Amino acid sequence: MNELKTENLSCKRGENIVLNNINFSIKSGETLVVKGRNGSGKTTLLRILSNFITSYEGKVLFNDVGISDDNLYNSKFNLIGQKNSLKENLSIKKNLELWDILFNEALNHAKLLEHNNLYHLINKDVSSLSDGQKKCISLHRLNYNKCDMWFLDEPFVFLDEVNTNLLIEKINQFNENMGTVILTSNINLPKKFHKEINI
Amino acid sequence: MSNLIKRDLLLSFYSSANFFFTVSFFILILMLIPFAFGTQTEQLKVLFRGVVWIALALSIIITVDRIYNADYEDGNLDIIMQKNKTIEYLIISKYITHWFIYCLPLLVILPVLSFLFYLDYLETVQIFINLFIGSFGMVFIANFVSALTLGARRTIFLKAIIMIPLFVPFIIFGSDAGSWPILLALSMLSFVISIYVTAYGLRLYGE
Amino acid sequence: MYIKIKNNHIEFIKSANPYLIFATIFAFVIGLYYSLFQSPPDYIQGDSMRIMYIHVPSAWFALMTYSILAGSCVLWFITRNPLFNVVARSIAQVGMVFTLMSLITGSIWGKPTWGVWWVWDARLTSMLILFFLYIAYIFLWQAISNKELASKISAALAIIGFINIPIIKFSVDWWNTLHQPASISKLSTPSIDTSMLIPLFIMTIACFLFLVTVSLIRFRLVLIENKMLRTSN
Repeated sequence: MNELKTENLSCKRGENIVLNNINFSIKSGETLVVKGRNGSGKTTLLRILSNFITSYEGKVLFNDVGISDDNLYNSKFNLIGQKNSLKENLSIKKNLELWDILFNEALNHAKLLEHNNLYHLINKDVSSLSDGQKKCISLHRLNYNKCDMWFLDEPFVFLDEVNTNLLIEKINQFNENMGTVILTSNINLPKKFHKEINI
Repeated sequence: MSNLIKRDLLLSFYSSANFFFTVSFFILILMLIPFAFGTQTEQLKVLFRGVVWIALALSIIITVDRIYNADYEDGNLDIIMQKNKTIEYLIISKYITHWFIYCLPLLVILPVLSFLFYLDYLETVQIFINLFIGSFGMVFIANFVSALTLGARRTIFLKAIIMIPLFVPFIIFGSDAGSWPILLALSMLSFVISIYVTAYGLRLYGE
Repeated sequence: MYIKIKNNHIEFIKSANPYLIFATIFAFVIGLYYSLFQSPPDYIQGDSMRIMYIHVPSAWFALMTYSILAGSCVLWFITRNPLFNVVARSIAQVGMVFTLMSLITGSIWGKPTWGVWWVWDARLTSMLILFFLYIAYIFLWQAISNKELASKISAALAIIGFINIPIIKFSVDWWNTLHQPASISKLSTPSIDTSMLIPLFIMTIACFLFLVTVSLIRFRLVLIENKMLRTSN
């Protein structure tokens, strides 16, 4: 049973106070939705949790160990940011090939892409896809490297109804397998998840 | 680290940065020497020594935007930095791939070109050794300038203004035949500075 | 926001400004009077030597300003006090102007004295590189949109440039001993007589006052710019 919690987390970017006294705690099997207006620091929060931003006040503890002190923490989460991490000039197939090398894992892409109805486009250039399709491919990264936590930055943007439901299903399945999900959103989601905070 | 090297090589192969382009650029710059200066043999021999370094510097300056910028802008750098806690592996793999793609072809074609410019075997070997050692130093410098200026888009001239004064010691000692020990010292110094500064820059842009 | 400049400091600088401008102009007038009329013409070089009175202080201050800039950047990295960053940004443009002046006046001095507009020796080449280091520092600030990041990057590059200058000087010196052994003696400065020392001293004071005055004006401008950036966020 893992627990990720923050204590009085505050962060300043330059002169602006971006996060002010954020407190939450989330355990295995739960999903936390971080809501807030545009520019309220949701992405900053995820980047702090992913150990990219190291200058903040307060504590972030994973199983009561500070995440900057924990050597194994980096392998325990999967961050899907707002950028798609796709090379626009290459086809989907080549992008997946590059990800296979990067994550050191060869997936059965056919089976997984069939889900999102994208397998027939696998040889098309990424630049010719729609934003929603690119987002689906970007979220496909969640299938790599089994880990305990998912940090998703605005994952439902651009997705249509079918893909939104598929993603919700995927998150539910992950929660049933004792995985933790923290996702940010600035719109109301079709389903109520376990926990919600507003920043 | 080997998967990073493999990924970079595959990526550059797919993005059509290949042997023919880099070699053609190099040959064409050197081809400008007889057009600009005339075709007297002695003059060509002297000029080749120096212009080969200018051509190498130009090749590296042109490619400085391709080192970290693409991965930074589309978000792949985040994945890479997360997967590799010791950032030095990423940096060294970038050194290796950058040198391999953009400097090694030039070194391979150098003996052929030096015979076209009437240099004999011994002089070719001297130039080759100097270029080999100096090219590493210049690659290190290009890498750290690239990592520091990830956020400055479309400023290739500004990056050239930063990089050329840093290349000057290499070019001064490079075009002189017996100075490969000094070049080696310069390359090692730039290696040390570059690792530190590149790591600093990448962490800075990760925030 | 832990900048150690209070509003009364800025008021003081603002009120001192007219006095500084007056003092600078005064010093320049006296200095030019001494240089042009009160000092003797050189035995060999004649009246063209007088340009040395602008050239030498410019060159000194060009190098000194860059040292202050690099030192300020080092202090900024150590203490993270934004004051040092503002100081570095204030003196960068003045330093660039000094470098340009020393290059141009050096050329003008060189032509009648030694017959050439330029020679590629260690000092002149280092001065040229110094000019480009200033350019790089100033334009890097404008190129990077995130200003906090811009200050870190330009500080890092200023320090690297500062390390690079002695390396270049050494390299060019070494190259010159190999290729042009004769030209070194050509550029050795003659020993200075007292009557020439006074105008030099006055012109140095004048250049120093110029540096201080313009830097303080820039200083206030940079503070205002920073304030505008903060409030617009």
